[in-house]
Amino acid sequence: MGEFGNFLVQNLGDFWTYTGIYNATWQHFAMIAIGIFFIYLAVAKEFEPMLLIPIGFGMLIGNIPFNMDAGLQVGLYEQGSVLNIFYQGVQQGWYPPLIFLGIGAMTDFSALISNPKLMLIGAAAQFGIFAAYMIALALGFDPMQAGAIGIIGGADGPTAIFLSSKLAPNLMGAIAVSAYSYMALVPVIQPPIMRLLTTSKERVIRMKPPRAVSHTEKVMFPIIGLLLTCFLVPSGLPLLGMLFFGNLLKESGVTRRLAETARGPLIDVITILLGVTVGASTQASEFLTVDSILIFGLGALSFIIATTSGVLFVKFFNLFLKKENKINPLIGNSGVSAVPDSARISQHVGLEYDPTNYLLMHAMGPNVAGVIGSAVAAGVLLGFLL
Amino acid sequence: MNKNKFGILSMLLAVVVAFASCKPATESEESGSKILINEVLMTNETNFQDDYGMHSAWIELFNKSYGSYNVAAHMLKYSDTPGDTAVYFIPKGDVLTLIPPRQHTLFWADGQPNRGTFHINFTLDPTKESWIGIFDSGNKLLNEITIPANILTTDQSYARTVDGESEWEICGAGTTKYVTPSSNNYTLDKNMKMDKFQTQDKNGIGMAVSAMAVVFSGLLLLYIIFRTIGKISTWWALRKAGKAKGLSEEETKEAMAKGATPGEVFAAIAMAMHEMQDDVHDVEDTILTIHQIERRYSPWNSKIYSLRDLPKK
Repeated sequence: MGEFGNFLVQNLGDFWTYTGIYNATWQHFAMIAIGIFFIYLAVAKEFEPMLLIPIGFGMLIGNIPFNMDAGLQVGLYEQGSVLNIFYQGVQQGWYPPLIFLGIGAMTDFSALISNPKLMLIGAAAQFGIFAAYMIALALGFDPMQAGAIGIIGGADGPTAIFLSSKLAPNLMGAIAVSAYSYMALVPVIQPPIMRLLTTSKERVIRMKPPRAVSHTEKVMFPIIGLLLTCFLVPSGLPLLGMLFFGNLLKESGVTRRLAETARGPLIDVITILLGVTVGASTQASEFLTVDSILIFGLGALSFIIATTSGVLFVKFFNLFLKKENKINPLIGNSGVSAVPDSARISQHVGLEYDPTNYLLMHAMGPNVAGVIGSAVAAGVLLGFLL
Repeated sequence: MNKNKFGILSMLLAVVVAFASCKPATESEESGSKILINEVLMTNETNFQDDYGMHSAWIELFNKSYGSYNVAAHMLKYSDTPGDTAVYFIPKGDVLTLIPPRQHTLFWADGQPNRGTFHINFTLDPTKESWIGIFDSGNKLLNEITIPANILTTDQSYARTVDGESEWEICGAGTTKYVTPSSNNYTLDKNMKMDKFQTQDKNGIGMAVSAMAVVFSGLLLLYIIFRTIGKISTWWALRKAGKAKGLSEEETKEAMAKGATPGEVFAAIAMAMHEMQDDVHDVEDTILTIHQIERRYSPWNSKIYSLRDLPKK
């Protein structure tokens, strides 16, 4: 009986070493608290709930402590585990292009086609990426890591994940969480900058209503867009190819079912998997580092610079435009590609100063140009650095 | 010059520049082959040993593509005398004939094919001009190399300077180059790109300027093209409208400007028609009509469905 008793005690002792309570560290609890905070932001404040709920819950999943030496094959970073299989879409970079397929299938590029000069705002706002790149270099990150961090300023979660999975996989968790967090915080970050950089006269500029765009133009846009951007930057092909393909499904008018699948069930499934696995990739041992804190700081900075450069570019551009063609600088922030949040910010801030001046339609132009611009910028960084 | 012409000219110029700057096809691109003869060692005395511990001549193949390539059922041919060609048929069924992306495989030219898939049925003679070719299963030449007579001494190899490139050089004994069986001909011992960026663009300004230039030029081109397309589309619409009414282009423009109705008006009319036709609103749209539905019975609270019948005596 004594021997059996010892066996039982030893067995329970072994079991104890496998529990989360035994393996927990303060870092795990810190990350769990951040995860719960994300869920709180999503539920109570409705900040990007589609992203923050999966990421927040993923953080909880990824930070349940377990015996790492036991080979239980439960952790995200353990090859062959279920979570690891889900994570392959992030690691190998095939979730982001599928998300882009859905984005393409739900985006109406009419505003951009009717007023194509708005594309340049989308290009100008990408300066945030390269400013963050320079600052990251100055802080001691190597060029590849700096490129991956800089892309946070593109305000495009899938692009940030895609690029960081190629350039700096070890920083991907921090970069993805940072990118999505700041996208959720667009309503907090952008308005003060927009107000600061514009005069009261500029804020009430009324833009010409966009002209009606023909079906032929809408069909031509994804084809020409793909050929032109990808011939210039072939490394952006996975993202741009799927974005324009999705848009062609939508605009062709003859593939309605495919377009609906791409912008509905497909993007939902991928968003769930992407969000949960990105959240789970923030395992405390990998995530809670000084680098992560620096990345969060740089991410905020790159968002601020991107917004600033977008607004300032519009003001500069206005110097060359006739009075009736002037652009309201409040849509300059939309060059960062957080679709459609930054365009909504333009609308809200614009309405504060003139309740009859609706900027949403105009802001959608630079907003979708920002998506193209950030994908091109990611392609450029890949081409230069990889 | 009006803006339309400027747009069309810019597009044409871009197309001409694009075509003019196209890369000329190189040797390997002409054949389109993914598999290349990459290095050949003809006299092996102290160099790489085979799996039998023998020093034999070898031929290295390189898969230059980024996908796996299977050389099973391919043929290696060798000739040092016109009209006399030895052929080795690479057997099927050996998993090792699948060459991973950007990887190499060695074939031992020891004349002993019974030793395995990678031992071929001929030997190489460095004193004669030697031609070696690899053919696919359809006998299509994929790649070939002719090695001049007597240019290789013992333990020297004839190799591409860089894997898959068209230039060849002599490596090994007496030269500054290394013989590299089953390995890269040009050893990358540092990340050239990173070194370049770290030494020449420490603060990232070069990257920022060049990358922003690319992003801007991409979107600028798109802007020019769609501006031109927009103009053409508007002109086409005017022309069609004019034709229908029997007016000239100018007259149509004037007529449209006079009777121009803002898009918001059409939107409001369309919305009103939609509301009326589809009856999208309740008549009493300001009255909340919430009635509690009386449904006491539900299968979920029924004992009939959740309990087993008692056995009857």
